[in-house]
This record gives sequence, structure tokens and C-alpha cells, in this order.
Amino acid sequence: MNSFYNIHIILAEVKKSLKIILCYPMEIVYWCIFPIFWAVPFIFQGNALVGGMKSEAFSELTGTAEFMPYILIGAVLNTYVLSALYGMSNSLREESYWGTLELILGSPCSKIPILLGKALNEAITSTIFAISQVFICIVIFGLKIAINQILPIMLIVILLMLGLYGLSIALAGITIQIKQSRSLIHTVEYLFYLFSPVRYPVDINPWTKTISLIIPLTYALIVVRGITLLNKGLIDLWQNVVILLLMDIALIVFGYYIFFYIEKRARKSGIISTY
Amino acid sequence: MKMNLRHYLRAINAENIKEWKIELTYRVDFIRGLFEPLFYVLPAILYGMAIVGGRYSENLEKLTGTGNLITYTVIGYVFMGFLETAVWGMGFALRKEQWYGTIEQVFAAPVPRWVYVMGMALHSTMHQGLIIIMQSVVIYFIFGLVLDISGILPSLLIIGIMMISLYGLGILLSSLVLIFKEGWIISEILYSFMIIVTPIAYPLAVLPSILQKISMYMPTTYGISTIRHFLIGESLGFSVFDAVLRLLAIGVLWVIFGLFIFNIVDRRVRNKGELGTY
Repeated sequence: MNSFYNIHIILAEVKKSLKIILCYPMEIVYWCIFPIFWAVPFIFQGNALVGGMKSEAFSELTGTAEFMPYILIGAVLNTYVLSALYGMSNSLREESYWGTLELILGSPCSKIPILLGKALNEAITSTIFAISQVFICIVIFGLKIAINQILPIMLIVILLMLGLYGLSIALAGITIQIKQSRSLIHTVEYLFYLFSPVRYPVDINPWTKTISLIIPLTYALIVVRGITLLNKGLIDLWQNVVILLLMDIALIVFGYYIFFYIEKRARKSGIISTY
Repeated sequence: MKMNLRHYLRAINAENIKEWKIELTYRVDFIRGLFEPLFYVLPAILYGMAIVGGRYSENLEKLTGTGNLITYTVIGYVFMGFLETAVWGMGFALRKEQWYGTIEQVFAAPVPRWVYVMGMALHSTMHQGLIIIMQSVVIYFIFGLVLDISGILPSLLIIGIMMISLYGLGILLSSLVLIFKEGWIISEILYSFMIIVTPIAYPLAVLPSILQKISMYMPTTYGISTIRHFLIGESLGFSVFDAVLRLLAIGVLWVIFGLFIFNIVDRRVRNKGELGTY
């Protein structure tokens, strides 16, 4: 009975969130296109620096001389980071803007299905955005993805989402406490952007290489690029998959405890409805 | 007339001080904002180094006359920060007044609209100037930049002229925000597009011809290229005199267009009673 209600809550949350985003069609179009736009200057920059679309030096660091697909894959996967940080982490802050946070947290149900509903909604919307971006990459930039590569990529994307949503559940909890968490979320985004191989191979610098090891996006990018650009299989990249899986478990447990600790504290101190 | 001007200058300064006070209230956010541009410029530098296997690019030298990709990229990104000032600083100033619930009082003040706009512009320019100094110091200590000192003064002059156009853009965007309310998408689209067609980290020669033509109407194209010409000797496809003339012409056009749209929007939202709505 309980699990039936929980599924009902998750679906209700997804339906509500989808209804809200469908009210802003421009926003949907924007997220389907612009993450690829942001990557375009890097493609022109590469062309200007080597006078073509291949680089030997780049190949020594990444295994592939073609920097364009490298950059495009980074841009598409980074969409999940933006979704987790700005969508999921900020979702409770938005409820507080709409005046519905107290009602949600006060409702006689477990908070887990609510959070799962929010995460599922973000997973659905960001996957729609990512698919549109991949379509643009294939049509305009000639990105090649073989049919047999789709399933392993999907598996890695799911693993990436699990870790990111674990982290964003913790951030959502922190948002209940500190309210204006914009700075914190921006800072996390910048750290991900600078220290994981979204735009460049982190092996170029010992600092970026070391810090990138604690970011789940690093492993997801290594595996997805390995599959698509180097024609490797999941078995060849198993170590990265295992590390990503372990990070997921750690981040989900961390997110769960942080969220419920802060939620309990916030209820006691009566700060849930304050701004 | 003299008396009026003095009052206007006081109002401009009051707007500037008000913005500083609000920003300095959120210190963590303020400090983060100072370092934020570094998170965008560093990946571009590291990516460039990964592509060429060092800091020198023969192809870049062939195209621009200067092969040091770090200096080339840093100057492009640092001075492009002024576009951010126009789009986000000025463009969102009125939206912020709406959030604070003070826009109706600001618009009811007995000063012309341009006084308020100039106050926003003054604050945004000072803030961006501070960010640029901060960024330059950090980049200098990390990578060590070699610039032609004698190019600093003419570069400042070019920035001043480029800012005229960017103020025009800021005025235009701030008015659009009054109609569209959540107008960040318009700002973001415009910003993303200008970033692509401006020679920030690459010369115009690598752009498709249609984008090259569009970039000729962007003040940032002349601004960034000419500043780099003065500071690191980038070869230009036009003379400095031409660049200044075009910057002035684009500046005058953008300001007139911005003010024209601003006045129409201002009248419209007041007639419809939508000024303070969200």
C-alpha cells in the first residue's frame, strides 16, 4: 500500500514540475540549443590555433586528435550538471518562492518520494535537452555515434545522474537552511567546469588532474568519450565505471543524511517559511 | 541649467553608491563575483595549451601576427567582461528594482530617465573595472603576461569608446526586461551570440563568412582587436582610425536605438500600469 502511495507521490511531483516547465516554452528551446552554442567558440579556437580540426598534441593527452567531438560530448554531459545544480538543488528554494514549501514539508508523507519526484523530473527534462543537443551535434557538426554505443552511454548517464542528484539533494537541504544558496551553487558549478574535463583534458596540469579525481563527471566523461571516440567497450573502461558507482553510493548516502539532518533542524527552529 | 546638471550628477552618484551598498551587503557573493570570470578564462587557456602542446601557436601567429595564445586569449576574455557589464549589470538593474519593490519610486523621482541609466552605467563600469584588475593580477602571477606598456593609454581610450555602444545595449536590454519580466533568456541569447562572433580567443578569419560579416557590426569586434593591437601588436584587417570611427558610429546608433526603445517601453508600461508587476 505504502509503495503504491509513494509511486503516486513521485508521479504527482513529476506531473506538477513538467506542467510548470511547459509554461515556459522559450526556456525549453533555450536548453535544447544553447549548451552547444557555448561550446562553439572552443571549436573555432582550436581551428585558429592549429589551422585544422585535428591536433597531435591533443591526441597525446586524450587518445584522439579530433577536438571537436571531444568538446561537444563535454557540452552535452555538462547539461546534467547544470540540471542537477540549478534544477534539483534549487527546487526547494523555488517552492519557498511560490509559498508551497511549508505545505510540502508539512504533508503527511515521506519526503523521499517528493525528492525522487523532483529528481525524476530533472532526469526526464535534462535527457530531453541532451537528446536534442546530440541531434544538433550529429546534424550540424557530424558527430558520429554507433547504435551499439547508445546502451552503454545510457548506463553511464544514469550513473552520472545518480551521483549528481545525490549531491544536489544535499545542496537542496543546505538551501533550506541558508536560503540564498546561489553563491554556493555557482561555486560548485565553477569547480565542476574548471576541474573536470568538460572543455579540456585535465591531464594538462597536475592541479586540475588531481582535483578532477573527486568529481563524478570526470569518470562519466572518460567513459563516454572512450566509447564514442576511441571505440572502447565498457569492459575496457571498467575501473572508471566502478569508481563512478562507488561515488554514486557515497553521494546518495551523503545527500540523504545531510538533507534529513537539516530538514529536522529547520523544522525545530521554525525557519522553513522564512526567506 | 548649471544647477540642474549638479543635481543630476548627485543623482547619478546616489544610484552608484546605492548599488555598491547593496552589493557589499552580500560579501560572499561579491567576492565570488570578483573571481568568477577566471573560471571561464582558465579552461580556454588550458584547452589552448592542450591543443598546441605549449603556449605558442604558429598558426595563430600566421593569422594575427602574435603567437602567444595565453596573452591573446586573456586579453580577449578580460575586456569582454564589459559586455557582461552591459548585459547583466545594466540590463538587469531595473529588474532588480522590481524585485526590491522600488521601481515605481525610482521612476517617480523628479529626474530624467537617463540620469538613472547613467547611475547604473557608472556602477557597472566601476565594478567591472575592479574585476578586470583582479583578474589581470591573478593571471599575471599564474602565467606571466608581457604587455606593451605604451599601449595601455590608447587601450583605455578604445574601452571608453566601446563602452558607448555597450551602454546602448544595456539601455535596450533594461527596457526589454520591463516588458518580458523574466528576460534573462533574451540577454543570454544575445550574450552567447556576441561571444561567438567576437574575436575573443580566435581571429575572425576562422569564422564562416556570414558570421564574419555580422561581426563587423559588433562594437566588441573593433574594441577587442584594437586593444590587442595596442597591447600585443595584433595585426588588424582595418586601420586604427577606421576602428575608432566605426566604434563611434556603432556607439551613437546603439545608444539612439536603445534610448528610442527605452522611451517607447517606458511609456507603454506606465500607460498599462505594468511597471511594478512581475
